[in-house]
Amino acid sequence: MPRLFKGFGLFFALAFGGAALPVQAAGDLLVAPTRVVLDGSRGTEVVLNNIGAEPATYRISLEIKRMTAVGGLDEIAEENVSPAERTALDMIAFSPRRVTLPPNQPQVIRVGVRIPEGTPPGEYRAHMLFRAVPDAAAAVPSDSSKPAGGGVSIALTPIYGITIPVIVRVGDLGAEAVIGDAWVAETPDGPAFNFDLTRSGNRSVYGDIEVTRPGAPEPLLIARGIAVYPEVAARQVSLRVPPELAAKLKGPVHIRYSEDREIGGGTIDEADRVVK
Amino acid sequence: MRKFGMKRAIVGAAIAALAMNASAAHAATATGTATAKILRQITLTNTSDLQYATIISGATASTVAVTTAGARTCGAGLTCTGTTTAANFNVAGTDGAVVLVGGDANVTLNGSLGGTMASTLTYSAANITLGATGGSFQVGGTLSVGANQTAGDYTGTFNVTANYQ
Repeated sequence: MPRLFKGFGLFFALAFGGAALPVQAAGDLLVAPTRVVLDGSRGTEVVLNNIGAEPATYRISLEIKRMTAVGGLDEIAEENVSPAERTALDMIAFSPRRVTLPPNQPQVIRVGVRIPEGTPPGEYRAHMLFRAVPDAAAAVPSDSSKPAGGGVSIALTPIYGITIPVIVRVGDLGAEAVIGDAWVAETPDGPAFNFDLTRSGNRSVYGDIEVTRPGAPEPLLIARGIAVYPEVAARQVSLRVPPELAAKLKGPVHIRYSEDREIGGGTIDEADRVVK
Repeated sequence: MRKFGMKRAIVGAAIAALAMNASAAHAATATGTATAKILRQITLTNTSDLQYATIISGATASTVAVTTAGARTCGAGLTCTGTTTAANFNVAGTDGAVVLVGGDANVTLNGSLGGTMASTLTYSAANITLGATGGSFQVGGTLSVGANQTAGDYTGTFNVTANYQ
């Protein structure tokens, strides 16, 4: 018997040794990488990891999102997708589509692409959604202090997930972007630094924004992973900033939009602006 | 044009690193070239739920609002008890990365003894810029309570996503 306990002790040490994290809800997740670009027949792999404290079942799906003029991504219902968006959904294959993972267990999702012959050159994109399937018993109200007579208690369960873009490029594509006006504005949630980005060409542009004050070595603001997708010719970029930074940003600044560091970080556009 | 070639073995190594909590590598004395690709990651964790707590309905229809900071406004004619909270989600990833966040604007709640209620949902931000320790966003809402709303436990689900562009 002592031997058995010893064995259990070791098991528990192994099972829980690495899990000294705060208690998290079932369904917490990690996804890597955060963006996939495929330019031919070669596929790639995306890692999904259950970072919650309990086993969870995740569903993986593709959906179409369209960029808005203010830089949001609108979800488009399947019956409303355009033929090109339909093509994107059809050419991207992935597996598995549903997986149950114990805590801290990663799973590789294989992503493949099959470009049908005669597909017109262009950029085809869908967004891969990773989302936990809620437990059937999850919607139990936690509030037990409900008064005996006629009270109403509420339990709202979020079903939450992550999406990353999966982009397929067919043919020789190019694009440019130009930085427009920049200004600081108040929003209901606090001040925001805003600027316009216009795009031309037949693919998306993607990169990092760095705002510097001429003469100052440290950048005032860095925002990574800003895209302008082909369905919009221009978008506004609105970044919430703390009030003290908003005050600092006013005046002459240098804005640089550069390609992802992973592909060299070349300048897409840079401009001197006076922020109002 | 962006090359996104990743060798299966390299991804395998990245997974192994993830699985082992990226703890100290098992040192081995051997000559050779070690390759590892650190993939950019995003994590999303739910740390609190949107709680309207307990409500006793009145003779007229009214509303209970919970701000994205978790503060409650109990409408006229209602009795509200318990602690309200806004839903909180933590996002972690590359320092400086901009993540779009959002989800359903409305949710319908079904009562255990019949009856439904509707809630609108409000999000603290449309996008967040991650700092070195990540970032977070909150979800509040406004619940419409009918006149003499049927008592019971009301449950509903709503969708929330964090989106990389």
